[in-house]
Amino acid sequence: MVAELDRTPILELEDVTKAYRTGEVLVQALRGVRFEVSDGEYVAIMGESGSGKTTLLGILGCLDRPTSGSYRLVGQEMSTLPESRRARVRGERIGFMFQAYNLLPRATAFKNVELPLIYAGVPRAERRPRVLDALASVGLADRAEHRPNQLSGGQQQRVAIARALVGRPSVLLADEPTGNLDSASAADVLAILDRLHRAGTTIVMVTHSHEVGQRASRILNVHDGLIVGDTIIGTAA
Amino acid sequence: MTTAIENVRLAFGALRANWFRALLTALGVVIGVASLIAVSAVSAGAQRQVAESIRRLGANVILVDGEFISVGAGQSATDRTITPADVAAIVKLPTVTAVAPQQDMESLPVSAGRYRTVTRLFGITPAFANIYNQAASHGRLISPSDVSFGRSVMVLGLVPAAKLFPGENPIGRTVRVGSHEFQVTGVQTRKGKLGGESLDNRIFVPLPLVLRVLLGGTTTKSVGVRVRTEADIQPTMDQIGALLRRQHNLPPSYADDFSIEDQAAFVKEAQTATTTFRLLTFALGGIALLVGGIGIMNMMLVSVHERTREIGIRKSVGADPLRVQLQFLIEAVVLSTLGGIAGVLGGIGATRLITSLAGWETVVSPGSLVLAFGVSVGVGLFFGYYPARRAARLDPIAALRYE
Repeated sequence: MVAELDRTPILELEDVTKAYRTGEVLVQALRGVRFEVSDGEYVAIMGESGSGKTTLLGILGCLDRPTSGSYRLVGQEMSTLPESRRARVRGERIGFMFQAYNLLPRATAFKNVELPLIYAGVPRAERRPRVLDALASVGLADRAEHRPNQLSGGQQQRVAIARALVGRPSVLLADEPTGNLDSASAADVLAILDRLHRAGTTIVMVTHSHEVGQRASRILNVHDGLIVGDTIIGTAA
Repeated sequence: MTTAIENVRLAFGALRANWFRALLTALGVVIGVASLIAVSAVSAGAQRQVAESIRRLGANVILVDGEFISVGAGQSATDRTITPADVAAIVKLPTVTAVAPQQDMESLPVSAGRYRTVTRLFGITPAFANIYNQAASHGRLISPSDVSFGRSVMVLGLVPAAKLFPGENPIGRTVRVGSHEFQVTGVQTRKGKLGGESLDNRIFVPLPLVLRVLLGGTTTKSVGVRVRTEADIQPTMDQIGALLRRQHNLPPSYADDFSIEDQAAFVKEAQTATTTFRLLTFALGGIALLVGGIGIMNMMLVSVHERTREIGIRKSVGADPLRVQLQFLIEAVVLSTLGGIAGVLGGIGATRLITSLAGWETVVSPGSLVLAFGVSVGVGLFFGYYPARRAARLDPIAALRYE
């Protein structure tokens, strides 16, 4: 809808490289990556394992810094930002979904979803309705007091979606979000992502599954640390 | 504000999850704090006793003892070297505020009717009461006119009063010493013990009477000399020494025929001994706290390691390094503070136990409790800092991938 017309770049990468050392070996994970993601896009980054796609997602999520090059998130340069500022950006601009869900095992679904709001300094009274809304939006309103080990994998990943969205981020980053799920749960999760996309949420997802990748509006192929393909699939709206 | 409460709640949750480990870790702080409190209570009690002893002995009192004069000089066998002229000369010294010549007779049998006892008799002047804080619980003390008129009056300590007049009022009654009779005018207040000797097993009569009637001669065994301040004690002792040598015409090659000592010297020595003991035990308590602190540091390092992934998750949802550091620091402080509270309670309990078992006087001061509490908080802060800093510095992406 409006998102179709809005071409504001949310993510901008220019000549991003990433090298790291594992033991004696210097690994060139990214060797000059350049692309933009606009507001409302649903991008799937695809590639073989070891292609550099997960490293790329780490940089997009401000969990990792590029060795060289520039990365701007909503116009702000991230590569040189000090760690404390990057933490704030992660809390306020980015929502994460991981393959392994990464929920705190001892905390209830409510507490897990509340976490970003606590770190963002949202007052307690305001947190509660927002957390309950976020849980309701992924169909888990009745699971707020359950701990992760009392929930199925699909439910846990939906809690993770609620946690990623509760802070109203600029972009949702998902790392193999269906990798640990059975097909029914995976379908649920992908349906939620479709719905979020239609509502205008910017999504960047890393996957090696073509089936999952086809749900996106654009596919970036990564091979050997470089973008080797950039395909617009069509409008999902 | 909310984050501090949030962090304390988080800390309790994390400690509860590993409560047994936390308990064992806190034990070091518990023992350290408890021993610090018990030691300071015991030493404060000892200090109070020392102060009480000095008060009973008389503060700032110098005791001058005369030696026996060799028999054959044609004098009484009990004569000593301190003469009334010596006493008069000591009175004139500028730092001296009171002088009490005294003569005593140990293990003296006394009787009243069919009751008899053995006690220590002191021949004194009214200055004695001033120097040694003597007071009467019944009747009155030896007065100046008792001395000048040579009245046969007596003041009883509590022990002879009870032995000679069980269940009766001794005032106005008669006590026999050898063939001489004394009328009781007063009973001394309770003095307690000093170095094993009961200060209550004593009787007091006017000094001239002892010299004239009981012993013969004019010299006194000793002289209690009170000076203005503690700082005056040593210089005055030196002055008295020089004065007596002059009075006695002693050539430089001759030794003193008298001795001068600081009355409270042995009490002060005991005080030094307790100070040493106290420092030693404080050091032990300090070592226990150090070991406790290292235990906390060790546990926190293990905890940070085990919760690497949790730290990664928190960082990924917006926790900045300072927040993470604060979370782990508060956890360490909560642990050491809980240990400190248990230690304070344990210390008070141990102190009570010491008092009831060993019979030592103990004083638990509120200051020592506050200090012990503060120290335990400090231990948490100090030993929690490094592990917390390590947590704060974890690389978020490595932490998230940590299995």
